[in-house]
Amino acid sequence: MIKNFLTFKIFILIIAFCLIQFFSTNSYGVDPEEILQNQKLELRARNISKNIRCMICQNQSIDESSAPLAKDLRILIRNKITEGNSDKEIYKFLTDRYGDFILLKPPFKLSTLALWLLPFVFLLIGIFIVFWHNKKSKKI
Amino acid sequence: MKKQFLIFPSVLFLSILLIFLYLLIIDRNPTELPSTLLNKKVPKFESESLFKEKKFVSSDVFGEKIKLVNFFATWCKPCRDEHSYVKRFSNQEGIEVIGINYKDNSQKTISWLKELGNPYSNIAVDKNGRIAIDWGVYGIPETFVVNSKGIIKYRHVGPITKKIYKKINLIISEIE
Amino acid sequence: MAPYLGNFLLWLSLFFAISQFFVSKKNKKSKFITISVIGLLISSLFSFFLLMYSHVVSDFSVLNVFQNSHTTKPLLYKISGTWGNHEGSMLLWILVLTIFNYFIFKLYNEKNSIFVSKALETQAFITIGFILFTVFTSNPFETINFAQADGLGFNPILQDPALAIHPPLLYIGYVGFSAAFSISIAVLTLENNEKISWSSYMKPFVVAAWTFLTIGIAFGSVWAYYELGWGGWWFWDPVENASLMPWLLGTALLHSLITVDKKKSLQSWVLLLSILAFLLSVLGTFLVRSGILTSVHTFALDPSRGIYILAFTAILGGYSLILFGLKSKKYFNNNYFSFFSKEGSILINNILMVVVCSSIFLGTIYPLLVEAFTNNKISVGEPYYNSTVVPIMIPAILIMGIGPILSWGKGDMLKTFKKIFPSILLTLIITLFIFLFYQSYSLIGVVGVVLAIWIISNNTIILFQKRSNLSNGMIVAHLGIGLLILGITGSSVWQEEKIIQMKVNNEAKIKEYNIVFKKINEIKGPNYFALQGDFFVYDKNKNIITNLQPENRFYPVTNSFTTEVSIHTNLLRDLYIVLGEGNLNDGWIVRIYYNPLVVWIWIGALTIFLGGLISMNNNLKKLKYSS
Repeated sequence: MIKNFLTFKIFILIIAFCLIQFFSTNSYGVDPEEILQNQKLELRARNISKNIRCMICQNQSIDESSAPLAKDLRILIRNKITEGNSDKEIYKFLTDRYGDFILLKPPFKLSTLALWLLPFVFLLIGIFIVFWHNKKSKKI
Repeated sequence: MKKQFLIFPSVLFLSILLIFLYLLIIDRNPTELPSTLLNKKVPKFESESLFKEKKFVSSDVFGEKIKLVNFFATWCKPCRDEHSYVKRFSNQEGIEVIGINYKDNSQKTISWLKELGNPYSNIAVDKNGRIAIDWGVYGIPETFVVNSKGIIKYRHVGPITKKIYKKINLIISEIE
Repeated sequence: MAPYLGNFLLWLSLFFAISQFFVSKKNKKSKFITISVIGLLISSLFSFFLLMYSHVVSDFSVLNVFQNSHTTKPLLYKISGTWGNHEGSMLLWILVLTIFNYFIFKLYNEKNSIFVSKALETQAFITIGFILFTVFTSNPFETINFAQADGLGFNPILQDPALAIHPPLLYIGYVGFSAAFSISIAVLTLENNEKISWSSYMKPFVVAAWTFLTIGIAFGSVWAYYELGWGGWWFWDPVENASLMPWLLGTALLHSLITVDKKKSLQSWVLLLSILAFLLSVLGTFLVRSGILTSVHTFALDPSRGIYILAFTAILGGYSLILFGLKSKKYFNNNYFSFFSKEGSILINNILMVVVCSSIFLGTIYPLLVEAFTNNKISVGEPYYNSTVVPIMIPAILIMGIGPILSWGKGDMLKTFKKIFPSILLTLIITLFIFLFYQSYSLIGVVGVVLAIWIISNNTIILFQKRSNLSNGMIVAHLGIGLLILGITGSSVWQEEKIIQMKVNNEAKIKEYNIVFKKINEIKGPNYFALQGDFFVYDKNKNIITNLQPENRFYPVTNSFTTEVSIHTNLLRDLYIVLGEGNLNDGWIVRIYYNPLVVWIWIGALTIFLGGLISMNNNLKKLKYSS
């Protein structure tokens, strides 16, 4: 019993420690000359880019693609970041011109409500089925 | 209740197939994107004009008659292929064709147009591609139809083919 | 000569399929049905070989060979070129259908002739559908009249050993589910089959299908990893999803078949699953070939083909699902089992697999739905699947550790905890070690590593305990999943990348490695020219590790460029280097990736495959003894 409890405490401590240490690894820039000096801003640029679809590639983000349009958009995003625009404003700028298609993470809208909610609904239905089956079969 | 529940999978399945059937039957290009600028005003921009001394100012250019806007470049082969159709449009009464030279060398463009003929009443130079981004252009050549009030009515991505030529003419006849 | 014979044999196979369909209605293992089954197999086999022959000898009078081949293609790719195009791949589908058809036929014994005949009737119907589609819309034996000196060549990216074997493995998977489907239909249609242990018939097919689907998907991913140039191996591309969905349902089916076998529980559920698994396989075929969406994977776009497959899927799906709706009631039973039991954990696994599959299905078709109902187009990319699929997989993996050791009916919690305690301890200790050593934490990384070690330690301990009541195949396959998760976590969470401009003799540092750009070479291959970079990799002690040689290739025949990545692999990480654009004066853009633990993805997949093979072997033995 004592052994179990000690292990449990250590376990909790480790998890807490890991959670505190939560940070992602460094990533270096895309094209050498595009990289912003400010690391924080560059990270923002990378994260936004990873969510923007390369329109002329197949299923790639502009962060990964070597296409010219991808590069232009990467530079545009970095310019807008350094000019002080928020992530939201930058996304709006892009979707105003290219539509929601350019976002790899589908937006939260009325038309995508089903898309985002249904997986949870499926999960709930699944859990319900497990309980229902259990209840029903217990009676017998 | 149970029977209805059991029929549900087949109903769901067949409805999904019907939607697929619908998508197959309509005339659609899976790679083409609908423009977000449809029925909106032309994006405001200013740039150098290729031939004219005066700057190309969008508010001066759009809003008089029906204009076609053609994004093109000398290094783009499909642009060359569609050029005869662009010329045909420029010869039509009542419409003008505006060219936007995308990420190109101006000298090369001038020779290219000399060789193939210049259908454009005015050409804006888009050296860094920002004008194209403002128009939501992603693959040149792209052609837009703008009505006499400066509202974008149609966009086609890719070279103009016989089919598209007819389609654009149809659209032009329907708008003002 | 060859194409005409091949075409004749294709029509002959149609004849045999139709005859099998009608003769099977006689409900016995007659001479006629034997002739139909064997005839179907042989005619489709030879038809396939004749297409392959045409490719190998570069017979350009055959349209299919002309469009997809070239005299300079290496022999291996001439062979694999047979199925590397739409029409040829349909011929492969048909061949595998006839092979599985034969195995269904082999199930015949004195007691089950009505049952097996019904299954053969269904299988014949499916085969007829595919052959009709092939001969009328996608005939590979079409000839052209004018003599051609050479073919139109073949996409150089596809000239690859992993990609060559990828389709046959996948098709064994998809078609294997057709056999399970046919067996389900037989169960649902026939009234009097209490004595038939149909689940023991279904099992070997499901295990075979699942096993080969696993390795087929893995080959596709490993190809994407070393071919596409940015270290990714899964893109949630619609066609990739189309292979993953049957796999998920297959996993569920694999597990619930056990409860049917042992406890006669979840029977109607299993019948539904096997129908859905095959329907998704056929629907996947539709997605790839119909032109409804584009992807790197899609074959030529042709809506008329799409309409045919859609109609065929509708018939199969409508019939099977309505049949299920009407007839499955008698397979409902209410055997009680608690959550905390083997059946309970299997049911939970099934639910989670189906939820994940439904989410992936939703994400894949949602853009099409939006397009159909609004004027808008949206994308559903990786972020969506990461938010929906990954969280659900976590409990599934956790349960995977406990499920196998739970007892049937009702498990004893204390007893189970005692059994599992060594694994929990081992997991914690090893995880602690890893993070002390590796010093880089992120929440999802920790979760991934804990899950991986949990599964690996569980199954290694079980292996050492040599429990005779647990199937070895299962243990090995589960172990493989643990290794797979380790690889997935490492490569996704801790990948590092460096992109710099390098001239000859420049150096770059990544992690503890020093990479020197020694030389640039011009080389010539069998059907390409290439610019090759010579990069020497040194560790922190200045010892040379390897010489990486990425290339940029030009294939004159198709006028296309490819980049060939160069990779150095060890158990801890991959060093992955790509040569970008450049020239002698300015230097080249070089992309260097440090991908931790990637190799464990492939080792894991192979281990799963091995587990599947062991299980197949055991199932076949059992089947022989029971009949």
